[in-house]
Amino acid sequence: MSLNSLPGSKNRWIYVAYAFVLLALLAFIGYLVIYFIYAFALFKFPFDYDQGEGFELVDTLMFSRGQWPYQDNNTYPFYSSNYPPVFHLVIVPLVWLFGPQYWTGRLVSFVGTLIAAAVIGYAVQRGGKRWWLSALAGLAFLASNYIYHVGPLFRQHMFMVMFEVLAVVLLTIVIEREEKEGVRNDRGLLMVMILLLLAGYTKQLAYATVAAVFLFLFLRQTKRAILWAIGFAMATATIFFAIDLLTDGQWLTNTVTANVNPFIPGQTIGFLKQWFNLHTVILIAAAALAIYQLYAERLSAYAIWFVVAAVNGLSAGKWGAGESYWATAIAAGCILAGLAFNRVVDYGERKGRNWYVASIIAISLLFLVQANKFFHMPTHTPTLQAIAEILGKETTTYVSPQTSCSADLPPEAIGYVDSAGVGLIGRPPDAEDSEAGRLISELVAQGESAAFSEEAGFGLYLGRDIVTNPTQLLNLYNNEQVDLTEMLDMLENQQFDTVVFRAQFYPPPVLEVIGRRYETTDLVQMNGFVYCILRPKEMSS
Amino acid sequence: MITKKQLGIGLSVIGALILVGTFIIDFIGAGNFSGIGPYQQLALLGAGLMILVGLSLIPLGDTPA
Repeated sequence: MSLNSLPGSKNRWIYVAYAFVLLALLAFIGYLVIYFIYAFALFKFPFDYDQGEGFELVDTLMFSRGQWPYQDNNTYPFYSSNYPPVFHLVIVPLVWLFGPQYWTGRLVSFVGTLIAAAVIGYAVQRGGKRWWLSALAGLAFLASNYIYHVGPLFRQHMFMVMFEVLAVVLLTIVIEREEKEGVRNDRGLLMVMILLLLAGYTKQLAYATVAAVFLFLFLRQTKRAILWAIGFAMATATIFFAIDLLTDGQWLTNTVTANVNPFIPGQTIGFLKQWFNLHTVILIAAAALAIYQLYAERLSAYAIWFVVAAVNGLSAGKWGAGESYWATAIAAGCILAGLAFNRVVDYGERKGRNWYVASIIAISLLFLVQANKFFHMPTHTPTLQAIAEILGKETTTYVSPQTSCSADLPPEAIGYVDSAGVGLIGRPPDAEDSEAGRLISELVAQGESAAFSEEAGFGLYLGRDIVTNPTQLLNLYNNEQVDLTEMLDMLENQQFDTVVFRAQFYPPPVLEVIGRRYETTDLVQMNGFVYCILRPKEMSS
Repeated sequence: MITKKQLGIGLSVIGALILVGTFIIDFIGAGNFSGIGPYQQLALLGAGLMILVGLSLIPLGDTPA
């Protein structure tokens, strides 16, 4: 219904309402532009930007060669993946065509977030038929600091979120139609299950969405939920044990056992506070609708999914976890918030002209408040700097380069500001960073062996073996699932010409032997981190 | 189809089991009560919330959940 169809004379205030809607849309389209700027800068960057990206590329490369990346970590090259295969398999055709390029996986992840955002918008549009509100809900997902940070990385998390969003939205459509038409749609439900399987075999964290889907089904169609849960469990287990058999047990060791990590309550509380602080409007609106549905209506799949995903976000307190663990809850929250705001506008429409206009203005203002909370922006160009200044924001952040293997350095100015605080990712990499990566690779190239490197990028650049996956190695060591004897022997005998450190995420015995047998010869700064290049002690004297 | 009352009872029972289980695990693990650590605090908070929400749903009766 449009305002002009409401009784009474034409209300000029509607133009004020339209202006606020336009402002809100401009703010979030602005974030979309910034997201594209960041993504395209990452596509051009040929090394690791976030820890672990290179190992995802290695996994993809191995799949492209018909090899499983779930290998024995006890023997050279001491490498294994700790993630399921779907994301890597999707990227394989790009690697066949273009070779092992970082942009392939970054592009796939980035497109995954765009798809998730579009589906979020579609879900809200189904509930409210207001294109501007649907657009704001979808754009709000991409504007989230957390989604921005990790969306265009060569990491599988956001691709998992894409499958989760598709599964829950499809589930909602299937069940709604079944209840309206009184006809079962098993094919539709099967598609939901396939999407859940794809999500789970992209990243294990999707178990939360699986739980939410079956909880929803249990509430609505109890017997059917139990039968389909048995079928789903059998399908999951069949795939799981088939891969485990084909990899001689390395799949179970590396994707399950190695992921049992210590839980740090302080990290959870810190993330929880930050998550709420950054997403306040969305979370309050989503929670309000979820509570309303709990007591006054039937619980939707979105409400159950939101609560389950939010609780699962608490696992961000696990060592090795991060802000991306909240991404699913953010997706669910954006859908619920969009639906909640639609209800507010519906209410305003029923009450009359003035209430209708006031509801649109209020919601647009709330989105503007949310946009302000999300504020993040590269400021490395004069135009972007000017925009930040006009908005009354800082244009420079001062942060010391992060180092684990050199003396502390004084703060440096970086052209990136973020309301989430000074973090490890978000600033677009530039030509200087690419040059630094090439310099590190040239230093590695001076030796003849593969580098014992904390990142895979330099080895990939040179076409050399990739030796170990440090965080995976550390996880296995902490769970007593790896024998370091051969690795320690090789390091003791200085069989690696070069060691490259960034954060030193290696087991203590590895760090100890490197400390004795290698010494730092070069320091190179890249992406706000100090990389330490080490050589065997005798050779460098 | 599950009703609000059934959902409420279910949540209350699960919350109570978590509450009791939190203390039992402590006794089985250490042989004595060694204080409420941070994990137990989180579990107790979650369990308490589940029980409260569960009990509040029971009066809603046979309304579909």
